[in-house]
Amino acid sequence: MTKYAKDYSVGELMCVSLAREIDDGDVIVLGSFTPLAYASYILAKITHAPNSTLLAYAAVDFRPFQLSFIRAETAATRGAACIWTMLEDLNSVHLKGRGDVEAISSIQADGYGNINLSVVGDYNSPKLRGPGGAGAPEVIKMHRKMIGYFPNHSKMTFVPKVDVITGTRYVIGAEERIKSGYRPGPIRYITNLAVISKEEKDKPFKIDSLHPGVSAEQVVENTGFELEVPGDIPETEKPAEEHVRLLREEVDPYRTLEFDFKPGRERLGYLNEILQKELEAIGYA
Amino acid sequence: MPTESKVAKLSDIGNIIKDGDKVAIGGSWLGSHPMAIIREIIRQKIKNLTAVTVVGSIDIDMLIGAGCLSRLMFSFVSMEAFGLAPNFRRAIEKEGLPYDEITGLAVIIGLEAGGRNIPFLPYRGPFGSDLVKYRPEFYKEMKCPFTGEDLIAAAAIVPDVTIIHATRADYTGNVQIEGTSGTDVEMMRAAKKRIVSAEEIVSPDEIRKNPAKTKIPKFQVDMVIEAPLGAHPCSCAPDYVFDPWHIMKYMQAAMSPETFQQYIDEYVMKPEFDYLDAIGGMKQAAILKRLAREVKYL
Repeated sequence: MTKYAKDYSVGELMCVSLAREIDDGDVIVLGSFTPLAYASYILAKITHAPNSTLLAYAAVDFRPFQLSFIRAETAATRGAACIWTMLEDLNSVHLKGRGDVEAISSIQADGYGNINLSVVGDYNSPKLRGPGGAGAPEVIKMHRKMIGYFPNHSKMTFVPKVDVITGTRYVIGAEERIKSGYRPGPIRYITNLAVISKEEKDKPFKIDSLHPGVSAEQVVENTGFELEVPGDIPETEKPAEEHVRLLREEVDPYRTLEFDFKPGRERLGYLNEILQKELEAIGYA
Repeated sequence: MPTESKVAKLSDIGNIIKDGDKVAIGGSWLGSHPMAIIREIIRQKIKNLTAVTVVGSIDIDMLIGAGCLSRLMFSFVSMEAFGLAPNFRRAIEKEGLPYDEITGLAVIIGLEAGGRNIPFLPYRGPFGSDLVKYRPEFYKEMKCPFTGEDLIAAAAIVPDVTIIHATRADYTGNVQIEGTSGTDVEMMRAAKKRIVSAEEIVSPDEIRKNPAKTKIPKFQVDMVIEAPLGAHPCSCAPDYVFDPWHIMKYMQAAMSPETFQQYIDEYVMKPEFDYLDAIGGMKQAAILKRLAREVKYL
């Protein structure tokens, strides 16, 4: 019997939910450095998915490491079984359809499987110029599952229609995906309120599970697109005690995964605190 | 006949990079950008460049802030956890910097096409993306001539110059990259001229001790510059991490054009020789190298 944790943060709940999306043997691509996603994959690798292959930066099949705000790249590189260029990654994983999960986030997402990392407002005179999508706009189609994580489930993020379609899942539904040369898999978004997913092109996202203490109404109110609300929605599976212990003591002792949940004005202070601890850990006061 | 040496000083880059050039910039995220060369471009006031990047950060932001770019081709520009890139945002939101936003795979495949000396390469590209509509000069929908399958053609990208930063090189131009090579190899193959800065310049014999580490052979290199800590404030894995303290200082400075100019005066307009002192000297370098080594595996 799993002993579930009583004390955990919403970040830890999301992190463990994302880790549970990883099956043993999966090929996992780590894109831009996002602590929550990195912590999830490393947690999965040291618990239920020891045969997964992790790729980050140039590193392929790197040994799982303790997360740090500064050292993810050098840790992955020094622990790699193989060092690839980006093109080798693309040829072998992305274009070949061999990737299973590469969790993404975006400024806006809608009910059609579209994401926007480009601009808010008009493309030619934007209110906000976002970073752009890097690989995200394409890998969300190519990988087996499209997994998104959103620390702020709101109508600002989940909109009826994204301002710009930077990328889209495009081929949705098992039959359609197989026909187009892709492996079938869902679109699933893990948020701070719930887990929602979409399996068919012509059907809306459905609420899979609600986080403890969250109501279906609350999720619907904070979502700008149509949601299917089943009559009986399960509670999101809580992190096991062991998950929380591993996260806090082994995977992420500096609590980098909480960074995404800090309001903008507190982030710099939080970052400074982490950096100070990292320096102390290597003997610099 | 003696072997030709391609070793040059940082100040010689003006012999290769000219006003108006299309310059591909190696490195990715906060890793291995050729920052010593970037600073020298700013110092020499080379202007009207079109920068090409796949995943850029402070390299692109600094060039934009210093007024060196007239156009940008990118798939991603961000300071990652430190926030959105301030000069990049300001230039696009307020000053209308022209840009081509291309999905990451299309940039890489376009560079690969450039390296193969063909006009495009097809792949199962980003159907349904608005970027395909906005930039028909980079994307074309096409049918496979064999099967009739719908594909997307990514147009070849041929930079005038590619600049990268590497772990080591020899004086003839053989280049070893031990860490994140990103798209450096494809950018070098596609370009008309190429400049490498390296942490150290070693003898060809030294390179031959570990040939598997050599990613770029000498005939794809025109100029080699020795630049220890030449990626700072970015990382050069596996040797040193990025400098978060300096990047925070940069982010603060880049919030307004006035404070950004002070940053440029303080760190960039002085000779590169003085840069190490300005960022905290050997002590800071030792910390960044120590952090890179101290990793706990689980």
